[in-house]
Amino acid sequence: MRSGKFGLSMGYLAAIVVVGVTVVPLLFVALGGFRTTAQLNTDPAGLPGPWVFDNYASVLGSSAFWTFLGNSALIAVIATALAVGLGSMAGYALSRYQFKGREAFYTLFTLGLLFPLGVATLPLYLWLRQLGLLETFWGVAIPEAAFSLPVTIVILRPFMHAIPGEIEDAAVLDGTTRLGFFWRILLPLSTPALTTVAVLAFVTSWNAYLLPLLVFNDAGHFTLPLGVASFQSQYSQDTARVLAFTALSAIPALAFFVLAERRIVGGLTGSVKG
Amino acid sequence: MTTATTPVRTPERASAPAVTARKHRPGLRRRLELALLLGPALLLFFGFVLVPIGIAAFYSVFNWNGFGPLDDFVGFKNYSDAFGGTVFQSAIVHNLIIAGLSIVVQLPLSIGLALLLNRKLRGRAVLRALVFAPYVLSEAITAVIWSLMLQPNGFADQTLRAAGLGGLVHNWLADPGIVLYTMFAVITWKYIGFGIILLLAGLQGVPAELREAAALDGASAWQTTRHVVLPLLGPTIRIWIFLSVIGSLQLFDVVWIMTTGGPANASTTMATYLIDHGFKRYEFGFGSAVAVILFVICFVFALLYQRFALRRDTQGALTRMVG
Amino acid sequence: MFVKRRITVLAALAAVAPLALSACSGGNEPPAQPSGPVTLTWWHNGTTDPIKTVWEKVVADYQKAHPEVTIKAQPLQNEDFGTKVPLALQSAEPPDIYQSWGAGDLAGQITSGKVADITGDTKDWIEQATGKFGEKWQVDGKQYGVPFTQHFVGFWYRKDLFQSAGITTPPKTMDELNAAVTQLKAKGIAPISVGGKDRWPDAFYFNYFAIRECSTAVLQQSVKAVKLEDPCWTKAGQDLKNFLATEPFQTGFAGTPAQQGAGSSAGLVANGKAAMELQGDWEPGTMSSLTEDKDLDSKIGWFPFPTVAGGQGDPAAALGGGDGYACTTRAYKACTAFLQYLVSEPVQTELSAKGTGLPVNAVAAKALKTDVLRQVYDYGTKAPYLQMYFDRAFPTAVGAALNDAVANMFAGQGTPEGIVTAVNQAAAGNK
Repeated sequence: MRSGKFGLSMGYLAAIVVVGVTVVPLLFVALGGFRTTAQLNTDPAGLPGPWVFDNYASVLGSSAFWTFLGNSALIAVIATALAVGLGSMAGYALSRYQFKGREAFYTLFTLGLLFPLGVATLPLYLWLRQLGLLETFWGVAIPEAAFSLPVTIVILRPFMHAIPGEIEDAAVLDGTTRLGFFWRILLPLSTPALTTVAVLAFVTSWNAYLLPLLVFNDAGHFTLPLGVASFQSQYSQDTARVLAFTALSAIPALAFFVLAERRIVGGLTGSVKG
Repeated sequence: MTTATTPVRTPERASAPAVTARKHRPGLRRRLELALLLGPALLLFFGFVLVPIGIAAFYSVFNWNGFGPLDDFVGFKNYSDAFGGTVFQSAIVHNLIIAGLSIVVQLPLSIGLALLLNRKLRGRAVLRALVFAPYVLSEAITAVIWSLMLQPNGFADQTLRAAGLGGLVHNWLADPGIVLYTMFAVITWKYIGFGIILLLAGLQGVPAELREAAALDGASAWQTTRHVVLPLLGPTIRIWIFLSVIGSLQLFDVVWIMTTGGPANASTTMATYLIDHGFKRYEFGFGSAVAVILFVICFVFALLYQRFALRRDTQGALTRMVG
Repeated sequence: MFVKRRITVLAALAAVAPLALSACSGGNEPPAQPSGPVTLTWWHNGTTDPIKTVWEKVVADYQKAHPEVTIKAQPLQNEDFGTKVPLALQSAEPPDIYQSWGAGDLAGQITSGKVADITGDTKDWIEQATGKFGEKWQVDGKQYGVPFTQHFVGFWYRKDLFQSAGITTPPKTMDELNAAVTQLKAKGIAPISVGGKDRWPDAFYFNYFAIRECSTAVLQQSVKAVKLEDPCWTKAGQDLKNFLATEPFQTGFAGTPAQQGAGSSAGLVANGKAAMELQGDWEPGTMSSLTEDKDLDSKIGWFPFPTVAGGQGDPAAALGGGDGYACTTRAYKACTAFLQYLVSEPVQTELSAKGTGLPVNAVAAKALKTDVLRQVYDYGTKAPYLQMYFDRAFPTAVGAALNDAVANMFAGQGTPEGIVTAVNQAAAGNK
């Protein structure tokens, strides 16, 4: 118990160091938006002074930003729901059912992680065009969900497998079906893992650039990453505005994480005590 | 008085009795359940991932500029060109270096931070958000920010000099000898949040009672960590390693935007190589061939890893011991 | 389960194989042109002002004068054209008008069969509007695009820094340039900044040495044949090597971007941290946003690339390029009518006056805002020979190989012979 207090202060020290290293670039992004591009170029490391509010104001005031935000949010929610929904079902099947070819299916899903997906853009584009999904939100959300399935399943499978069999036995004794067990017991118990994959899928969709680029020509459909283009030209870049735009773009995704991370910590306590 | 090994090393049973019991249920119902559970994901995955990948791999045996018809069949020439090129060979080496470093450097760092952020520190939620925030930022802005900070006499150099470490100042992005390691540092910064969120989720499966019990037995914090927490965190750590190695082999975005694989191909990865020498030069066939090579390398690793490291995590009982 | 899956795989492959193979080969007959009201989609890279507003006004004016035409402009970030245009040309509905930088890209794109041959529709007006410059958008003598702006590359320098280093006149020969570099270094000023990270700024140096060493005939013949055979190419590489040995660039140049973000090579000159940069005419526009100095314009001067002793090239030859647009086959007649409008006097004057670049139509030159831009324009248009940057004149793969080989040399690896070999190998289809 003596080690407890010492360990705790070492912990605080380590935390401060880590946070320091992590946070400085973040501050750059956030504070950079309060300067002008010219200031950023003359004195990259300086603090804002005078504080320029024009960048943040013009981004927040432009209807384009909110349109992009709405588009990004819609696509991310659909993609996440699809990925986590379908992925958890598949994860359940692959973790708690025993059947021939189970490992082969699992390996099949992992194949999606092994191939650089940017290479497959041409066939994917032609395929989406054939399906009539170009210039639609589904045309982005569905492939994004598909791309997120491998990570989702790879993470969910061991978590779902680790849930004790006694719980399942008890559920069977209570008369639930296996699907009922899945829906009413397994999913709630897997909340930490489910939240993890949901956050990962959401953030991946939020920052996706290539897929929206392929699918959308109409600027009214653009997502936030595509929206940066309005501050970059062939010969120059309004860095300060890009930083302001990016800082604002990151807020929803970060907010989602903050809300979700409470669910990650606090899932299984109490459940294993028989 | 508990024996130290019981909570940790469970004898591997052939298969959990609960699962065995189900093998004899009506087969049709079970198959329908499986189809319902597995089918939609499989369909989605097949249609939007496997099929495009298959077609892209098909391009690899052609010489094709992406515009006209696919009529210049060259067999395996693209593959031999790739293997014969020194740039690609060094790209493979770079990827392996990053993969190795990720296990040696990023893993202990992630575990340590996850353990730290799992404790009841004040402001824990804020700390977690801050550590995860780099992962939320897009690769593009990561590259912009770090390029700003790493330029000669930029913020990084100024800080080092202010701390009296002026001798450590280097041309972080321009020196071919260290640019790869600079990239590794930036990648570590960006992806540490991913590891932490995963390990935090895994830590939730380590009951506090076990740690308390070990502490009551007189184990120090380090011993508790080493003998109780880490083994129970094993499955999560093994998943982390899997995803991290694959991610290192597939590394593209951050490197592409910060250095385009330069200077003089000193930070080229297999993925930047295939985009730079393949698709950006309108050589779709060659780019696809390199992508297939990258795929095969990853596949071999994945198969071996699944066979030897991950097998035990989804077979046999792991958490049956707590009553 | 396995058997079922195998069949599904085969069935799916069969279904999509036509997709993969269906990239059609060119038809010889362009499709019948739509009659009546027509909507044109226009992909341009004017995502920011000043050109964004200019294009919006152009669209409005054109639609007013031609009520049967509607133009849907879709600004696209410059770097994304390389990704989106090949995909669009694979689909059945590529954009009607899209940005093109010259014959090098077009050579590949026309194999899709969807890029329109507009020789007949432009021959009446293109030479009068664009002079000989329009020829750079021809492939095998057929016109496939029309330029609307042209660029010339030369040395942009800071008059104040030159003065403080005791350089009274801009250098005219390589020896004078080397002397200037030495003088600047003695004063602790970075003589020349270069955006090594992007690789194409490095290539400007090799391009110019080649233009100085090789005669016009050799240049034209080499580009046409896509082969570097004359010894002048190796001499150019050697010149570059010697120049690099004088270490004229800023510290860490291999990692410096050219224009993007703070700390770029343009930014260094803009803030007086470097004295010169070899860049195109866009440089003043780029620099103005990277510094707080309101007097920057008065401090910036321009001089052409120096002459090289013993070179067979014309000492007044210039390196440059341009931006233009190409038409796809669906509505190429309406497209060419629009392109004719873009090179007409009112539009060209507007482009010059707003500082978006140098016009192709000579009558608009008087609208250029600053003396130095007029100096660049005069030099370039009066040059006896204009060579397009090789990475745009050669097919894309060859141009990229050239840029890479030059960048390697900048990084201290590679030889003059290596540059020539890299280009010839890429041209022969080797990777």
